[in-house]
Amino acid sequence: MTKHSLGVFALILISALSLHANDIDGTIVIQHKLTKPRVTPAGDLYERGAAVPLGDDQHQDPLAYERTHVVIYLEGDSPSQGVTAELNQQDRGFAPDLVVVPAGSTVSFPNLDPIFHNVFSLSKAKSFDLGNYPKDHTRTVTFPKPGIVVVGCHLHANMSAVVFVTPNRWSTTADPEGHFTLPAVPPGTYTIVAWHKSAGFFRQKIEVTADHHATVEFVIPLDENGVLQEARK
Amino acid sequence: MRMRLSTRAFLWSFVPFALLLAGSFWMIQRQVQSAVREGLRSSLREAHESMARTREQSELQNSRFLRIVAENPSLKAGLQLLLSEPKSGEARLTVEDQLRQISESLSFDFLVISNSNHTPLAGVLRIDNQLVAMDVQRMNPPFAGFFTFGDNTYQVNSFSVDVNQENIGFLSIGEHFDLSEFSSPTVLAQNGKVLRSSVPRAPLSELEASLSSCTQQAECEVRLAGETYLTLPSDSIHFGNGYMLRSFQSVDSVSAPVQGVLRRVFVIAGLGAMLAAAALTFFSSRSIVRPIASVVARLREGEATGVLPVFQSKPTGIREISDLTNSFNRTATSLRESQENLQRAYVEFVESLASSFDARDDYTAGHSRRVSDYSCAIAKGMRLPDSEIEIIRVGGLLHDVGKIGVPDSILRKPGKLTSDEMAMLRQHPTIGRRILEGVRGFQEYLPIVELHHENWDGTGYPLRQSGLKIPLCARIVHVADTYDAMTTARPYRSALSHEDAIRELQKYAAIQFDPEVVQVFIHLEEIVKRARSATDSANGAGLRLVSNPKAATGSDPSARRIV
Repeated sequence: MTKHSLGVFALILISALSLHANDIDGTIVIQHKLTKPRVTPAGDLYERGAAVPLGDDQHQDPLAYERTHVVIYLEGDSPSQGVTAELNQQDRGFAPDLVVVPAGSTVSFPNLDPIFHNVFSLSKAKSFDLGNYPKDHTRTVTFPKPGIVVVGCHLHANMSAVVFVTPNRWSTTADPEGHFTLPAVPPGTYTIVAWHKSAGFFRQKIEVTADHHATVEFVIPLDENGVLQEARK
Repeated sequence: MRMRLSTRAFLWSFVPFALLLAGSFWMIQRQVQSAVREGLRSSLREAHESMARTREQSELQNSRFLRIVAENPSLKAGLQLLLSEPKSGEARLTVEDQLRQISESLSFDFLVISNSNHTPLAGVLRIDNQLVAMDVQRMNPPFAGFFTFGDNTYQVNSFSVDVNQENIGFLSIGEHFDLSEFSSPTVLAQNGKVLRSSVPRAPLSELEASLSSCTQQAECEVRLAGETYLTLPSDSIHFGNGYMLRSFQSVDSVSAPVQGVLRRVFVIAGLGAMLAAAALTFFSSRSIVRPIASVVARLREGEATGVLPVFQSKPTGIREISDLTNSFNRTATSLRESQENLQRAYVEFVESLASSFDARDDYTAGHSRRVSDYSCAIAKGMRLPDSEIEIIRVGGLLHDVGKIGVPDSILRKPGKLTSDEMAMLRQHPTIGRRILEGVRGFQEYLPIVELHHENWDGTGYPLRQSGLKIPLCARIVHVADTYDAMTTARPYRSALSHEDAIRELQKYAAIQFDPEVVQVFIHLEEIVKRARSATDSANGAGLRLVSNPKAATGSDPSARRIV
């Protein structure tokens, strides 16, 4: 509770001293794939041959996907202006499959497929059911509370996306190399959080001063078997 | 047709035997074959039933799995969408897409979703490994059973889709129905019409025709493309709609090797038995026929020699045959006796005929008898066969039979004959021939009677034949006749002595007589002379030296009387 009030205080302070804000630069280090591969593909997959021509993906870093799906934010509520974002339904999937917005933002769900979709969520942070709607129709949802909202489609059980609602505006995702920047963070001491859908939350204390950039590194640790060791909530 | 007794006996015993044998072998073979066939049939039926059970099991498993597919919540949501927006093409597209996804991931070939009234709403179908959307209104896919589109046949089952314990529709799931999956040839028919068949070398029309005789739910046997099949309906799977699946098992392919072995065994056994039967009947018929054949051979021998032989030893131990032999012997004996009697009577007749015309003239009494004896002696000396000698003997007795037609005045005339009388006398060979010509059995004596006055140089009468043209018997009798005439007294001259007569004969040899015959006669002369001196009687001498076998034995009483 003291920590929380401290954070609130800090953020108020940050808002007041925004002129002296500085960036947080960070790196996400992931050495093993976190998303579990499909173990038993349908028999037809073999019969039809590989979807990707052999050898085409050798320059693609399999860990880049994992890095781009890590959400980094600072703990502590801070009133922020909501933004608008889009989560398309395209090719029987959500694109993008991860949207990071501060609380109070509005996300629209346009259907770009020639078929119906039925977007819904049963998450605690925000539950909704947008009903069936066809191509070129859209529905919007406002997310007032921070939290993780898992979005699905009633008609297509395969479809899944995450709307990550952060408590303040300092949030981002890493680029394929794992680099990220939280810009204009007022000096102070924060808890910086990295979240990955499979790996969970990773927290670090970070101190931001007006003088220089704070840097942080998250090593999302896995044991030799690829099993997550220290996932903490 | 005449056939040998042995052939007949063989045929009569062997043919029924062989027929009986062949018939019984054939029957046994048929029995065994049908037993084998029945065994095969039951084993086929068992195999078929176990296959059907396996298939039933897998069908059950399959249906459980398919029920789970029908519980797909996305699909339920899709169906609900479709039910709420029945006119929307996008809704149909959405569900078609779902069905395509399911088909892709679960390898179905036919998926149709329909409402609770069985009205199909959307569906996809795999054709040439491509999933395509179905125009369900037009194609009207079945609720269950088979669906045929182009060359593809799908076996379809339907499962209800329920939400909150309320039926909202049905999911029809189908897979390619491929007869090649069945291990045995199979036919798919609908109401007697054959749709698909994997029976080799049998066109569908032929199948239909032969299956029309089979009742719906029974096993039956049909002949297709020269092969016998046992066909059973697979009653474990009910397709409805008149569809029926029949599996076929070739009875021939299973039973042919067994039947081949059986046939071979029976043919070998049958042939062996037949050969044994043939050998047995051959020997038995031979043992029956052989004694009869030996009797027949004797008879044939008798036919050739003119003498019926008497069996000395019994040729067989068989009673009938020995009876036959005995009676044959008795017959032969009595026949020979009667033949001898006949011969005797004949000889007596000829001799009495000869002596009757000899007796017309005292001078010529015994002439015929002596001529016959001399002629026989010559013939013997010339080693003529017995049959020839017999002819000469009788011919000698008869040679002057024509003198019956010459008046006594000429025959007994003491003086010289006039030329007319001489001509009349010279008629006697012709007359004799004419007399004997009509008598059956005397034909062989005619040359002697007619030609015994022909001369060697052709100056004789009546035909003036000469040399070897004159039959030998006539030449012999000519010499004997002349000798006897010379050595007996005549009214117009006295008898010549034996030596003078011989001299005369030698003198006229090769003129009047055959020199060879004269030569032979002269060689007989010594014997004649000795005989004469011993008995002092010309008549007695003739008798002794004559080589008539019957007369020589002394058993012929008639010969003695005539002398």
